[in-house]
Order: sequence, then C-alpha cells, then structure tokens
Amino acid sequence: MFEFLFQYPARVFSKGAFVFLSGAPVWMLILAIAAAAAGLGLLALRRRGLTFPRRAVLWGLQAALVALLFTILWQPALRVSSLKSQQNVVAVLVDDSRSMAMKEGSETRLDQAKATLNGGLVDKLRDRFQVRLYSAGAGMRRVGKVEQLTGSQPSTQLGASLREAVAEAATLPVGAIVLLSDGADNSGGIDSASLAEVRRLRIPVHTIGYGREKFDRDLEISQVDLPSRSLPGSRVAAQVTFRQTGYANRRAKLVARSEGKTLASREVTMKADGTAQTESLLFAAGPAGPKTIEVALEGLDGEENAANNALRRLITVENRKPRVLYFEGEPRWEYKFLRRALDGDQSVTLASMVRTTPNKFFRQGISGATELEDGFPPKPEELFVYDGLVIGTVEASYFTPAQQEAIRLFVDRRGGGLLTLAGRNSLADGGYAASSIAEILPAALPASRNTFHREPAKAELTAGGRDSLIARLEDDPARNAEKWKKLPPISDYQELGAPKPGAVVLAEAIPEQSKTRWPLLVSHNYGRGRVSILATSGTWKWKMLQEHTDTSHHTFWQQLIRSLVTETPSRVTTTTPKTVLSDASQVPLRVELRDKNYLPVSDALVEARVSGPEGTGGTVALELDPLSEGVYTGTWAAEKPGSYLADISAKRGDEDLGRDMINFRREDGVAENFGVEQNRDLLEKLSAETGGKYYRPSETSKLLEEIALSEAGITVRETRDLWNMPIVFLLILLLAGAEWLLRRRWGTV
Amino acid sequence: MRVRTPVSAGIAAILLAGLMYAQFGGRRGFRGDDDDAPIPADANEKTEYVFTRLRYPSYRGGAGYWGVRGSWTTDYPKAERHFVQGVRRLTRIHVRSMEHVVDLDTDDIFNYPWIYAVEVGHWDLSDQQAAKLREYLTRGGFLMVDDFHGSIEWEVFTASLSRVFPDRPVIDLDSKDQIFHSLYDIDQKVQVPGIVMFYTGQTFEQDGVEPRWRGVVDDKGRVMVGICHNMDLGDSWEHADMPRYPEQYTSLGYRIGINYIIYSMTH
Repeated sequence: MFEFLFQYPARVFSKGAFVFLSGAPVWMLILAIAAAAAGLGLLALRRRGLTFPRRAVLWGLQAALVALLFTILWQPALRVSSLKSQQNVVAVLVDDSRSMAMKEGSETRLDQAKATLNGGLVDKLRDRFQVRLYSAGAGMRRVGKVEQLTGSQPSTQLGASLREAVAEAATLPVGAIVLLSDGADNSGGIDSASLAEVRRLRIPVHTIGYGREKFDRDLEISQVDLPSRSLPGSRVAAQVTFRQTGYANRRAKLVARSEGKTLASREVTMKADGTAQTESLLFAAGPAGPKTIEVALEGLDGEENAANNALRRLITVENRKPRVLYFEGEPRWEYKFLRRALDGDQSVTLASMVRTTPNKFFRQGISGATELEDGFPPKPEELFVYDGLVIGTVEASYFTPAQQEAIRLFVDRRGGGLLTLAGRNSLADGGYAASSIAEILPAALPASRNTFHREPAKAELTAGGRDSLIARLEDDPARNAEKWKKLPPISDYQELGAPKPGAVVLAEAIPEQSKTRWPLLVSHNYGRGRVSILATSGTWKWKMLQEHTDTSHHTFWQQLIRSLVTETPSRVTTTTPKTVLSDASQVPLRVELRDKNYLPVSDALVEARVSGPEGTGGTVALELDPLSEGVYTGTWAAEKPGSYLADISAKRGDEDLGRDMINFRREDGVAENFGVEQNRDLLEKLSAETGGKYYRPSETSKLLEEIALSEAGITVRETRDLWNMPIVFLLILLLAGAEWLLRRRWGTV
Repeated sequence: MRVRTPVSAGIAAILLAGLMYAQFGGRRGFRGDDDDAPIPADANEKTEYVFTRLRYPSYRGGAGYWGVRGSWTTDYPKAERHFVQGVRRLTRIHVRSMEHVVDLDTDDIFNYPWIYAVEVGHWDLSDQQAAKLREYLTRGGFLMVDDFHGSIEWEVFTASLSRVFPDRPVIDLDSKDQIFHSLYDIDQKVQVPGIVMFYTGQTFEQDGVEPRWRGVVDDKGRVMVGICHNMDLGDSWEHADMPRYPEQYTSLGYRIGINYIIYSMTH
C-alpha cells in the first residue's frame, strides 16, 4: 500500500535526501504559501452567511490545497544513492551447518534455502550485481553452485564468516551481504568486533531466516556450570540450566554420569514452557584424575530434537591435599568436634593449634616437630603455605600488626580462604572491629562488646543457604531444608552487624528466647580469596544431640572447610575458558604465576607441554601478557577430537617456580545439536545493526530493491521525482472534494 | 497411746526429711559424703566447660541411686569445687565454678561431653544405661573414672563396662599417648592415694598395689574412657587444702585431671 501511494518503498524515503528541483529558494515557497493563505483568509472573513468556525474550516481546506499546489510547483524530489548496475558484488552466505540439515516438514532448512535461491533470487540478483555464493559454518568457503551446499559443516560461527566476508570486501566492491541461516550460532553470538567492522564498511547484511522459531515439544540443556577443579572425595554441585516447550509440569530425571556410571540422579518438575530453569545436582568427585561428566535430562518422550538433552563437562579432581590452619585461643568443644569432623576427610589436612595456657600451645595435625612451634606464623610466606585459615576465639590484640596484615594478605593476595568463629574473644568481643582484619570480614561488627551469648539458638537456612553447597546436608533440596529444621539448637551465637555489599548470608541464628534473627553464616569474596564468619561455636551440639550415625555435623564442616580451600590458587594456576570444546579447536591458555609471597612473577619462562589423542601433542611457549603482571597466555590448537593434558612449567633461570596441569577435551558433532530453533533475534539484530533487513523466505521479493539502495560498493546518486506520487493527486482530490461537500451541506453552493 | 502415735509419726517424718536432706543436699539436690563446700558466687555463670559428675546406680547400699551414700557421691562436691579452681587458674578453659550432675536415664548427659565417675568399682549399670553410655561415648563424649581399687572392684567395674562396649577391650595407655602430654608431660606417674593412707600408712587400697592407667579407645585410637585404677585422684583434689595431704599427690592429681579434660576437648 505504501509503495502504491508513495510510488517508492519506504526504504527509499529513509535513505534518500529530500530536495526541490525548481531552483527557486525554499523561502519563496514559504512566502507564497503564507501570502496565499492570508489572501484566502481575508476572503473568508468577508464571506457572509456562515458562522466563523465554518469559515475557518473552509479556509483551512483551501489553504492546504494551495500549499500543496505551490509545493508541487517547486518540484519536490528524493536524492538517493544506489548500487551501480553490474559493478557491485553481492555476497550470498548460506549457513551450511548441520542444523540446516534439520527437517522442517518434508524438506530440510537447507532445501528451503536452496529453493529461495533457485526460485529466482539468484537470477534477479545476477541481473544487477555480480553474485558470489559462500558456504558458511565454522568458517566461509566459496562455492560455485547452490547444489554444492550439503549442510555438513560441524558448527555455525556467524561472526567468523562475516569477518571473512568483510576481508573480501577490502578487495571487492561488496555492496551487500545476504545471509540465509537459522541463526543457530555456536560461538555465543556475533562478536562486537566483527559487527563493528561490517558497520565501518557500511555493508548492509540482509538476513533470511529458516526454521521454526519454537518447537512444539523439546527440551534443551543450555548450560552446565561445574567447577573445573575439585578435591578428591569432595562433593561437587552441577548447576544445570535448561528450557523446554510442551512438557510443563512433567517430571524428568536429572542424571550425572561418568564413564557410564551414574554418579547422582534426581527427579525435577518442568516449569512453564519457555522458562529458563536451573536445577542443581550433587555428586561425589571421587578419586583424583580428570573426569568427563555427562549431565542429562531423561524421561520425556516425543521430543522433536532428542540430541540436545545432555551436555558433557570436564572436571579435574586434583591430586593435592590442601592444608588448613586452625588457630584456637582456648580449648573448646567446637575445636574438638571440628577436628573429628575433618578427621575422616581425605581431601583436606587440618593443622591446628590451641592455646591451652596463656603461653602454651597444643598442636595437632602438624607435619613435623617444627611446624607452628613458634605459635601463629609471624611472616606472610610462612602463613601462605596454608590454603585455608580458621581463627577461633583469639583476641585481635594477640596478633601483631604484621600478623594482622599477613592475614589480610593471605586472603587478598594469596587467595586463601578465611573462616572466623564466634567466641568470648572473637569478632566484636575480641576487638576485631578496630583491627585491620575487620576490613576483610563479610559483615560489619558491632561497636559494643558483650555480643557473644551462650544461649541456645536455632540455625535456619536463608534462600542463599538453600542453594549453597556448604549447607547441603542432603542432596535433595527439600529434604535438606527439612534436615536443617530438625537440627538441634546450637549452644551459642554472636551478634553481627549488617552483611557487607556482595556478602551472602547462608544461615541465620534465632535465639530461643529473643527470636531475633542474627546472621549466622556469612560469606563473601575478598581480593583473590574468600572470607566467611560462622557466628557460633556451638555446632558441636549437632553431633552430641543426634544419633552417632547422623552425618550432619561432619558433612557441614567438611563442606565449609572445603569451600575455603577448593579455589585457593597455587603459585602456578592455569585456566581456559572451556574445558570441553564442541566442534572447535582453539584452546586459549592463561597462566598466572606467583612467587612464595604470591607476588606476580613477570620474568619467567612458561611453557605448556600438551599431549593429546593418537600421539598428538607439542609445546606452547606462553607469552607474558603486557597488560597483566604475572600472566602468561598462549593458544593450543586441538586438531583431533579427544582428551588433552597440558603440563605447564614455569622457570626463572635454573629456578623451578612451579608446575600445574590442566585437562581439556575436544568433541565433534555436538555443537549443532543445540540451539537449533531459528534464532530470529540474532538475525534481526545483525540486520538492524548493519542497516540491512530481516526477511522470511516468502518476503524476499523486496530484497532486490533494498540491496540496490546500499551505500557500500560502487554507487551512483539518482534523483526521484515526488510530485507525481499518487498520494499527491489523492490529496488534491480529497481537499477539493471535502470543500465542495461542506459547501453543499452548509448551503453555499 | 493416742498421743504417742502421732508424735511417733511426726518424729519419723522429721527423721525421714532429715535423711532425705542428707541425701539430696540443698542446692541441686545432693549432698556429698565429705566436707561440704560453699556454693560459689558465680555458680550460674554460663561457660564452655562444666565439671560433670555421673550419677550411677551402685551395689553398695543396695538401692540404686538412692541408697544411703551412693558411691557416685564420693568426694562430692568439694573435690570438683577445688579442682575447677585449679583448671581456671592453670589453663585458658572457660570453666564454671559449680559442678553439674548427670545420669544415664535422661538425655541431659549429651550436653556435657566430659563426665567424671568415681568409685566405679561399685557401679551397676542396666542394659539401657550401658547402651546410653555407649551412644554418648560414640558421639564423642569422654568418661573419666577414678577411685576404685583392687581386683574385686575391677571385676565389678568391667562387668558394667563390658555391657557398654562388648567389643572393645580395655588397654593399658602408653606413656607416649597424647592424653599424658596434652598440657603437662606426665612421664613420671606415681600412685595418687586417698586419705585412707593416713590410717593404713600405705598408698594402695585392697590389692591394688600398682596404679594402672588404662582406657577404652575408639576406631581411630582416641581414648573414650580414661580409667584411673588403683588411685584416688578425687581425694587429691578434695584434700588439696589439707595440710597433711602431700602436695606432690595433689599436684599430680591436678595435672592428670587437667590433661584428661584438655585431651577430651581436643580429640
């Protein structure tokens, strides 16, 4: 309709510049219109027989008509740039990935795309442009014929394909890019750098979308968050995010497996269609070594795509036993029972010292007679040999200023985990509010003393605690909540101030007498480490007041202590964004190197020796990142699918600075099973960002005109008259006819 | 006769009341067999550690807890009132000045992870009480037994203990065991006598000539029951203020008691 009335597509108006071709200045037009309107106004004032409002309406119609006629006399037109015929290239990118081989009714998406191309689009384009056809997937490859497209590329990386198309535009007059795709990108979307490059060259990307935007019955696991490292024998929580359509309120089984063996499973109930749902699943990490964990959702029948119900992740169960130092200011039952809880923990070593008299310590769990013989470590490097630190009821003034600073650095720089416990000499009652340690605590401390109360209190989980692995006494969240409700009261509690921003309160203490809620377990990250406060010394009641077979107490403590040390970095720490590569090969490696004081080391030789499947392997020299002290980076190309092990070593001259290992795995034929619904949002956004337009396959007839108006490539400026638009004549008729009809009605003709 | 019957009944009632007062004492319901001790001003202080005495049924007296002068009350309460002052002075343990009494018929015992039982050569636990004591010790509780002597009392003691732990033997504790080194290094152990030595002139009682430091340990080798056989640590605490009682025994008695407490609070 728009094009019928205005003669040209709306795109022409938005692209073009409005001009008058008569040569007369615009101010004359305005003056002429004003003069004519004034004259008509005078005539209207002198007219008799009509009321003033009616005369005003007639004057308005006449003035509008005169203004329109004057405007036509000035010859209005649009100046637009358009691609010069046969001198520009149009790059036609066809998504040739396996998701395009998915059936949509009787034919595949690729068949539909081929039909679009062969149905006249290519021929029409060739009438005006040079057409280059490309197969797009993991990269871009030029093809001569539409028939050469097979839908077999292992992944879709639209950003990479666009980058290659833009690179071609540097030597060719590319006027536009036409992308035929389902938008199922496997690289996490189109990166901003690629998009910026397309925009810089002003090449419009027109997209044609294929595939259903929503399946009737499908479930897809979109994300599995799993720590990349764990400790032997510890429990690991997998956060599984999925969404489904057609199975609302149905139950499915969430399963974790490793090497075919089921590690854990539980039933989950599907939420409303299209809702992103996240569920957690706990399982035992088992003994040391790399493990491939498959997380799957099972038990739903009739799915349109059953290949997206499982995801694999790699977890390295580290062959190390972190050491935790527990410094207790006086003999307490909590000390005894904490030690007993950790006694059976194969993944953590607890070295502890308790002040039995004002000048005597009793040490346990030490590795030799000299360990801790002088009391609390006086120097940072002596404290930094531990991965975690627990401070009991020790007055702040016991620590020298240097030791207080070492404790702060233990968390901030070393990346260790600190836990402070309640007591008559702890927290506010221990004078910590005025110490430098207060800065790193996750909660403010009251200014007053007498905050420690030997009164029984009920421990209750908060919402954050219900999701936390630390507080998970039972695998099932509902049973876990019940378990916490049944725990005996703790024997004491200590008042805390408000949690600091970013801190999470996992549990609260509710005294039996006052019923006031006090933060009981509060955690936050500080610097490279983490700090928790457990504002009680009375969890030992969970052991003494329950059957000896009950595991609540030791499970809680093992998880709490592990949470302190699991992420404590060693002096050489290697990371990679993804430990499981789906149909991709590039493995970025990032190594952070520290000395004994955990200061960055930037003059070392760091290399990764990689061994992979079928005897593949090699050495990558990692380069110092100029922007980050002590950070070395490099990339390994995993050419073959399978498991890889990178052994990272760091040296400075002959000095061995440390080693680290990291596992990763390449899997092929996986990526295209996920996100197979048409990602229309992505395609529309790509077009909108580049000045192109999104089309359904049935709407491509207008594509040619859109492409012609591109400002990229070799363009010519042309002028298009507007005076002869049908809308102009319709307006003239409308204005004149309206005046005549009104006059008839009011009896003046 | 009409007059004498109510009078007799009244006298009997007064005697009975007196007897009950003698048995149960004033505060907390008990009175010990020895010198009484004043109730400390801070008796109600809430502390980490409370000296906890086990009340058990015994053969002596033939009437369970309530026989005349039950064995469990021996040295009560002066021994612990003296002893806890020493624990306060010599350690950093937050100690209550007033003791507490528990038995094996309620669950109150589980609030006190360290208990002391005296003259266990006379105890006579029922199966239910033995099961409760086993559960208490398995959860992490600690029992120190003291002041029983010779082979006959040993037999009586082990008769009940074997019902507590049918499958765990009593072992002699090695001098290197941490229980003898948790605060004081007690390498030279001598027999700590009771005040009976004033009458007999010897440090042992019955045929218990040799002091024996024994225990029952758990699967990880931790002492659950510390058995002080052929010695009377309770008297060494109780009579710490008696000039006649040798200081060396009191000193050793305190050290042993403190070591046992610290051991139980660290293992």
